[in-house]
Order: sequence, then structure tokens, then C-alpha cells
Amino acid sequence: MIRSDLLAKASGATEFGTDLAEPEMLWAALVLAPIAHGRIRRVDLSKARAMPGVHAVVGAEETARLLGPGAGDPERPLFPSTEVRYRGQPLAAVAASSLAEARAAARAVQMEFDPLPIAGDLEEVVAEWPGSEAGSDPRMIAHVRASNGDLGEEFRLAEFVHAETYRTNGVAQVALEPHACVAKVDVGRWFVRTSTQTPFGIREDASSILGVPEASLVVEGSWVGGGFGGKTAALVEPYALLLSAATGRWVRLSLSYTEEFVLGRSTLPAVVRLESAVRAGRVTARRVRLLLDTGASLPGRDFATGYAIGFLLGPYRSDAFDIEGYAVRTNKPPFGPHRAPFAPQCSFVADSHMDSIARRLGVDPVAFRLAHVWRAGDVTPLGQAVGPFGLAECLEKAGALLAIWRRELPTADGFGLGVGCGYWSTNAGAGGEALLRLSPNELTIDQGEREIGSGSVVRGLVAVAERVLKIPSDAVRVGYSDTSRAPFDSGVFGSRTVGALGQAVEKAARRLATELGRRLGTSDPATLARDDDQLVAISGAVRRPVRELLTSEELRAGGLEFPGQHAAPPGRIDDSRVGAGTFYPYTDFTGAAHVALVHVDRATGAVRVLRYAAFHDAGVVIDPATFRAQVEGGVAMGLGSALTEETLWGPDGRLLNPSLLDYRIPTLGEVPPIEVHAVPGHPGAGPFGAKGLGEPPIIPVPAAVANAVADATGARVREMPLTPERVARTLNLLASGGTGRG
Amino acid sequence: MGDSELVVNGRATALASVPEDERLLDTLRWRLGLRGTKEGCRSGDCGACVVLVDGRSTLSCLTLTHELPGASVTTIESISEDPVGRVVQDAFVAEGAVQCGYCTPGFVVALTGLLKELPPSAPLPELLDEMQGNLCRCTGYGSIVRAIVRAREATR
Amino acid sequence: MGFTLVAPDQPKEACALLARSAPGEISVLAGGTDVLPDVEAGRVRPSRLLSLRRLPWRTLGWNGGSLTIGSTLPLREIEADPGVRERIPGLAQAVHAVGSLALRHRATLGGNLGRAAPTSDLLPILLTLDAVVNLVGVDASRSVPVDQFVVASRSTTLRPGELIASITIPEARPSQYVWQRVRPSNDISQVGVAAARASRPPYWRIALGGVVPRSIRLEGAERLLPAVRPLVSELEAAAALAARLAPFATDKRASEAYRRQLVGILVRRAVASISPPIVPPVGVA
Repeated sequence: MIRSDLLAKASGATEFGTDLAEPEMLWAALVLAPIAHGRIRRVDLSKARAMPGVHAVVGAEETARLLGPGAGDPERPLFPSTEVRYRGQPLAAVAASSLAEARAAARAVQMEFDPLPIAGDLEEVVAEWPGSEAGSDPRMIAHVRASNGDLGEEFRLAEFVHAETYRTNGVAQVALEPHACVAKVDVGRWFVRTSTQTPFGIREDASSILGVPEASLVVEGSWVGGGFGGKTAALVEPYALLLSAATGRWVRLSLSYTEEFVLGRSTLPAVVRLESAVRAGRVTARRVRLLLDTGASLPGRDFATGYAIGFLLGPYRSDAFDIEGYAVRTNKPPFGPHRAPFAPQCSFVADSHMDSIARRLGVDPVAFRLAHVWRAGDVTPLGQAVGPFGLAECLEKAGALLAIWRRELPTADGFGLGVGCGYWSTNAGAGGEALLRLSPNELTIDQGEREIGSGSVVRGLVAVAERVLKIPSDAVRVGYSDTSRAPFDSGVFGSRTVGALGQAVEKAARRLATELGRRLGTSDPATLARDDDQLVAISGAVRRPVRELLTSEELRAGGLEFPGQHAAPPGRIDDSRVGAGTFYPYTDFTGAAHVALVHVDRATGAVRVLRYAAFHDAGVVIDPATFRAQVEGGVAMGLGSALTEETLWGPDGRLLNPSLLDYRIPTLGEVPPIEVHAVPGHPGAGPFGAKGLGEPPIIPVPAAVANAVADATGARVREMPLTPERVARTLNLLASGGTGRG
Repeated sequence: MGDSELVVNGRATALASVPEDERLLDTLRWRLGLRGTKEGCRSGDCGACVVLVDGRSTLSCLTLTHELPGASVTTIESISEDPVGRVVQDAFVAEGAVQCGYCTPGFVVALTGLLKELPPSAPLPELLDEMQGNLCRCTGYGSIVRAIVRAREATR
Repeated sequence: MGFTLVAPDQPKEACALLARSAPGEISVLAGGTDVLPDVEAGRVRPSRLLSLRRLPWRTLGWNGGSLTIGSTLPLREIEADPGVRERIPGLAQAVHAVGSLALRHRATLGGNLGRAAPTSDLLPILLTLDAVVNLVGVDASRSVPVDQFVVASRSTTLRPGELIASITIPEARPSQYVWQRVRPSNDISQVGVAAARASRPPYWRIALGGVVPRSIRLEGAERLLPAVRPLVSELEAAAALAARLAPFATDKRASEAYRRQLVGILVRRAVASISPPIVPPVGVA
């Protein structure tokens, strides 16, 4: 089964956002703030306007004039007029006849600022855990807290309390295609063609930022050169639209890769303090404290803290807990969602901690986890009932494989094995719809998502239709149209495409099957097969060409149409356990256990991952090839987070490594062969019991690697990524009798 | 073919119309409309823009068009006309070594050049080592390695 | 951006052009893989680039044990040369450590030296091989030991109007280049160590990259090693001295302390791979 989009992509024929071009289009460039924090004294555009080839230069003032007074979102101005909050914040934008002219004019903009103190490093901003005054502290943009049980009693009864502090660093999405779009404003119609995971999301976002009604704004998605969460919010689109409004021309705006690193909305650093009360070989109570750097994010818009913090308790039972987190504002670009936002970091912390307790107890880390891990019917710390959940089975299988690998482990120094666990849930978003249209020779799935690479749209949705209707996959086509014509859908994020939009397809396909059965004169739903190039409907012994089953009106309209909708029933948490902020319920429960075999060079601290296996409960696997591809890709990305990837921030708020040379994603040389295993039998909320799989594969990786390093060396590295230098430093501490033990 | 032109996918292109400071990547994408060659980092670190110059894989983002008078440039658009290129392209499709597809043209072109540059006896690890300059963020490289193995077998 | 390109076909003409230009106005373009990103990022703004592509310097020639490499020969052709691989393995290893294959198809040895990249993987090995840089100028040609050629990051002893024509390695030596990086593939080395064994004293040459202001020979450490196979204790002493004396600094790629830790290990590994140290029998000091 070969995906329908592959040959065009391997021939260079696919048009991505960066490939978009229109006749006579202008090229745009952004003017970025050269400081991280300061009051704006002057942004003088006059010199830039006089540069050759320049058609428009717009800043805060021009924007107000173009959009009308009071238009747009005052909290999210396109260009700030009083204060710069992060280095790289756009202060003006230029449209010119060529990119070189646009960039030259952008450089000619003159700016003056009164510098303000820069909140750079998270732990310098918040040197001590915030007290009761934190609620009124402008640096804290969110506060979440939840608790249950008698924590004090459990800690008093504990045989020991295992306390650790972990640190995580920022990671960037690094889709190889930077953000890019072309836009044109034409008497009241604001049109943008863009590389996005969420065309409807961009419409909503751009509409609010520009103050243009959603009905006047049309977003058409192009093919997407990778998203990973980075292409879910409006970024380049409002600027291109604004410049088109100013010039009346098509405007193309594409970020340079340096700009992509700065403006692409990545994850930022965090510090987590964990304390676990341990009695009779069990964790009985946990206290967790999180400080999450959210950069220049806006108060009230922080989703990460409340969503992420739940994952810090891990997929593990404990009778009592108290978990509290703060989102801290710094002068870095705003925090953004990166594939399973902050969950790999949570898994690294929570699962390193479990591993560390097991080692302290001298028990098998896998058995220790199995004694705590959620199973269907358990209740999460936040009081939600756990649905079908195969993590325990994943763990058992991972443990069995680990035992085999252990027997084969070279006797030389430095080899080790580790397990990492993770869990996740499909995010249904705001729901979605699909429209199925059956013509005499083709079934079309009309919908509003663009394929971002995983295959969830071009393959996943087709596979759902295939399962219901038994139709050959090459007779199914996925149709896409812009937001003015496509059925609404929330977009490609939260591992939701097959899980949520797939249900809309399933429902429509079932209706279609029933109707075809009725038209065949049977009470059973029909299936479809192909006869030459015609589709035939079959029910039992009855078999007729689709052409003969359609009315002349349907034939004229292009086929028989059935819509399908999906809106997920939200899960429930126990609100009485929530003390502050928002915690989020899960739609379903997907889990994974990974095994890593590493070699650690004790002299240099260099870690190489030599073998890797992933066991996933993805519910019912709709398409095995796509399943394997997703897991391989997610694991490789996780290896980057685990070993080499981190954004480095200077004290002046400058990103020190905004390049693919210094921000090191794995190459072919860093990724070992990956064994991929599905653990079936635990159906999820998706079609046929499928669970989302876009994000889960990245989650357990850093924990698996860190636990393998601890196994190999006895050293517990409590900061990710595990660069050679960090590992070496921990090994040195251990050798000198310090605190590196795992 | 003279010093005043270069040949792109078999077609002569006059250099006179190209500014002297223009990179090959921009000439291909915006002057010749060959946007199958992708722009990624533009600093030579991702491999998305690799084309063949006289058969050798070359970063078109770090090469001035005027530095190539008389040269022959092959891009993804014509790679299937080359027997090795065709094999490589088919291998990537057959192994599903393509997800978002943005890195794919660079991979297909680079591997085509490599298979022609190295002797057929070159061991697989050497091939894999020389493909490290092409970054992929989607596939995790497993399917890409399978495609490299398949293409190598088919061209030996 | 916004430059013109000039590509003379005579070395003297190229030198004359260079000599006539004001500093900063003209940049030399060899493979372009280092200068073009600088131009793109606006770190340099030359109005002209002097292309070396038409000069007759894409050469590689052996003269007995001596090797001369033309300055504009792509790096790939150096590592692909069977003689280099066999007789100066450290040079092939160091060249292979530079960037990706596609980059090495254009990048050149002359460009790497002339740009004096602070993180060069090539300078340490050239130091251990006593390489000589052959320069042409408007009036005269001269040869400078590589040790005296690169002064510091982005700084050489090139005089106005001078160009690197070739690099001569006077003697093929058993040699080795080893490095440590955050990401093994395609990264900048945090520390690089080159070692070579010469036919005349001092028999060992050890050089170091990742130090400031530029790569250096570790002569003190070299002197602790005997002509042929060192004893384990001698190698340990040399490595320890190297770690003590190396002028490291902290930057975004590594801390000074970590670099210091690495250098001892890498010196041991580089020397041992050329000549495995002798482990004394039990009971012998």
C-alpha cells in the first residue's frame, strides 16, 4: 500500500508553503527587535521607505490606520508601540519588489529604546519557590495546583522520602520548511494561502489579531513541510495580509531559518522538584513542584502549565499527592507547543524518578513500575476513571525484551539498558466534520485538513473509509478546499486526525453503507468493490454498479453525499481536587513503554544509543505501515530531545544557537534501528477503537535513554538533554563521592 | 556549451541574465521555476537544497550560479531521467521513506550522486555515513535506510 | 548581498586585483561554503568577490614522500585520494570530519586556511604534518610554515595582495585525527586532537583544536614520548601535561573544564591508535 502523495513528493512536484508564488507578488521582511526588553522611544521607518524597490513599510501607527482604530486584539498587537518583550519581536514589516530589497529596507529601519531589566534565566527570575504573594506577581502568568489525600500523614509514615530536582531545556520543532505564506486582500476579502496544521485555527487567530470578521477571511492550506505543533497558530499570515492591505498586491512572507528558530514558538526551560514518600516498597504520596518558563506568553493564555503538569504524576498510582506549578514570564519568545507539549520532559522527570526509587530500593525497575502503573478501572490522581489502557502490557513486554537484551549485553564497560514509560490522550479539539461523496467510480472524502507528513490525512482517513466500505484504497480520494468551502475541522494537532476526524469519516461511511444497502433492497449495509474502473455495491448476493444506484440528480451533482460529524465527549476529573488553575481531562488513554540499549563512554560522557524498541498501545491499529512510520519518526525526534537538542539562551535574552549547525537534531548517524511493536486489545475513542499516535512515540524516549545511562554507569543525569558534557559532569561527581548516584 | 551558460536539466541557461551575487538555489527556484529543490536552512546544514553539479552532490544554497559556467546541473525535476535517479526515487516511494516530503528531493538527489560517485563495492556503512548531511525530521531515518539499501541492491 | 564577481585566470592578475582593493571591499571566494553564509548574514559586506575558480590550483601531486595540494581543490578529492588515505590517514580523517559530503564537494583546503576558521578540523593535522603554505603575491612568492600562517581566529599573516596557491606536506606520516562533539555526525568539534609520528626528532607531533586563540602544537607533551612505542606511563604523562597546559576557553559548545577533561583522553587515543603503548609486565615499574 503506497501513500498517494509520495511519488509527487519524491519528484519535487509538491507545492509547499515556501514554493507559493503569484504573478507580480511582493516579497516581505520583518523588522525584529534587537533587544529583549525595553521601552520603545522611536521606530523610524522613513529611511526604509526611501530604499529602492520598497512598496510599503508598516509599523504600529500604520497598522492602526490600515485596520481602523481599536481593531485587532490589544493584547496581541501585530507590532508593539510601547514596550519590547523579547528579542526578535516584530516591530515593523516591509514589502518590496525583491527579497534582497525587502531585507535591505528592514535593516534601514532606525530604532531607539530605553532598556529595561531583562528576565532571562528562569531560576534567576524565580530564585525561591513563590510564596502567597505569587498571585499578584506579574512574573507569574499562571498558577495551577491540585491535591488529594493526607499528604502529611503519608510523609510521616514513610520509610524514606526520595527527593530530587530535575531540569529540562527548550526544544524547537525544526520542521524543515520554515513558516511561509502568500496573501492578497481584495475589497473586503482577506485571502491567505499558507503552510499550516490548522487552516480554521489560522482563520480564527488572524481574524482576532487583525480585527477582520472570520467571514471575510479565507485560509487555504498548502502542503506542509513538517509541523510538529509549530504551525498551529497564526505567525506570518497576519503580517502578509497587512502588507497586502497596504499595497493591494500579493505579498509573500517566508521566515529565514534563523527567524524560524526565534519566532517559531518552541518549548522553554523548566525546573521540577519531586518528593516521594516510600513505604513497604511502594510510593504512597508525592509532592511535585514545577516552574515552567513560558517566555513572553500572555496571562490567561497558558495552556502548557495545566496540561503538562498532570503528566508529572506519571501513569502511576499513589494514595496522596500535592502538585503545584507556576508559569513564569521571561523575556524570551512566547512558549509554544512542540509535539506532545512538554510530555517528554514530564516523562523524563517522572520516569527517571521512579527508576531512581527502584534502584534505591534495590528492586527491578520494571517490576516496580508494574506495581504502580494505571490499569483500566483505576482512577487518576485527578479523579478520572482510566479507560482501556495497555501500558501495563507494554511494560511487561518491554521488560521481557530487556531481559533478553541483557543476556546479550557485551561484558565490556559502559553498556546499559533502560525503560521509559509515557502516556497521552487524543485531543479532540473543537470537533470536525467530513463529507463523503460517492460517484460511480470514486469515493471522495471532502474535509478541511492538510497532510503534514504523518499520513494521517492522506492515508489514515482513507483507511477508515476502507474498513467500513471495503473499498479499494486507490478508489478513495481525499479532497481539500479552503475555509470558505471545506467542512469545519479543528486541524492536525493533539494526535487527533484519525481519532477525531476519522470518526466523522466513519460515521459518514456507515450512513453511506446503510443507504447503499437500502438501495440494493437489503437490510444490511453494503460494501464497495471495483469492476474495471467502476465501483459496484455489494450486499450479500446482491451486486450492482454504483452508477445504477444513483439518481440522475446525484449523478449531476457529482455523487451521493453523506456528512459525518464528530465531537468528543469530554472526560471528567474530580474538581474538588483542583485548588487553582485548570487541569484537563483525557479523552482516552494511550500508553507506551520503550527500551533503550546504550553505550556510555565514561571518559568523555558520550552516549550512543545502539538498539531501541517501542511497545505502543495505540488501540486498534488502522494502518500498520503508518503506525510504524509514526513510531520510528517520534522515537528519533525523542532521541534528539534526549541527547543533543536544546535552545541556548544568553543572559541578554538572545537565542545563541538559531541554526541547524548549533541546534543539533539527529542525523542518520544518531538513530539506531528501532523495533516497533503494537500492543492491541485496549480500544480507544477513535474509529474502530483507534487511539491517536502522532505524539505518543516521542514521550518515553528521554526517560528510556536516561534510565539506560543510569544502568550503564550508576550515574543519574537529572537534566536533559544528556549531552556528553552533562553526562561527564555527573560521572565526575559520582567518582568524587558527590551526588550523582542514580 | 560555452562559458556564458550553464546547463540545467539538459537545457542551456544564459548566465547573462543572472545577477552575479545570485545563489544557484535562487536561480533554480525563482528564475527557472524549478521549485522542487527546497530551501531549508540556507546555510548548508540541512541538505534540502542539494542538486548535482557535474554529477556531484552540491549545496545549491552555498553556490553562486556564476561560479558554474559550462557546468551541468541536475535537479529533482529531471532525476528520473537518470537510470540511477529513477531507481532511487522508486526506492524512496516503495519504502515509504517520505513523510512531509520537504527533505525528500535533497535525499533523492544526494543518494543518486553518491551511488554514482562511489564504486559499487562501497560498503553500506560508507553510504550511510555520507548521507548524514541530509536532515529529515519526520521519518526517523528507518525507512530512509531501507530505501538506501534497496537502491544500492538495485544498482549493483 | 549586492556584490559583483570577478574571476581572473592568472594568479598575478588576481593578486593585483586584491592589492588594489581596500580592506573589507573585496572577499576571496574559494569554495564559498564559509564566506557565503557570512555574506548572507551580513557579517561581512564586500562589494566584490574574487573568485579563484579559474586559477590552476585544483591539483594534488606527490613528489616522493611529499604531497602538494592546490588551494582550490575540493576537500572531497583529498580524502578520496588513495595515497592520502594510505600514507597520511590523519589527513583523510580530518578532511572527512569537515561538514557533509555535499559541502566537501565545494569546500577547499585553501579556503579553510585562508578564512582561519576558529573551529577548523584541519589546522591540527596540518600542524602535526609540518605543512607549509605556499603563497603568491604581486611581486613575489613565499612559503610559510602553517604554524606561522594562522595567527588567530579569522586572522592570518597573509599580506595585502597575497593568495594561497597550495599547501605542501613535506613528509607522509602515520597520523590520526580524533575529536569529540555533542552530535557525532556533522557538528563542530569541541576538541580535536591530531597526532603524527615523524621520521626525525621530535618524533611525535601532537596538535590541538578547540583552543584559543587558535590550534596549537603541544610540544611539551610531544617531548615526553619516545621514538617508537611509548610506555603506558609515558603516554599518561604526555596526556596529563597536555590537559594541564592547553589554553581552553568556555563557549556555547563546551566549558573550559570539559575541554580540559577531553584533551587528555583524546591525546591518549590519538597516539595509541598510531602506536599502541607498551604495557609493562607486572612487577616492572
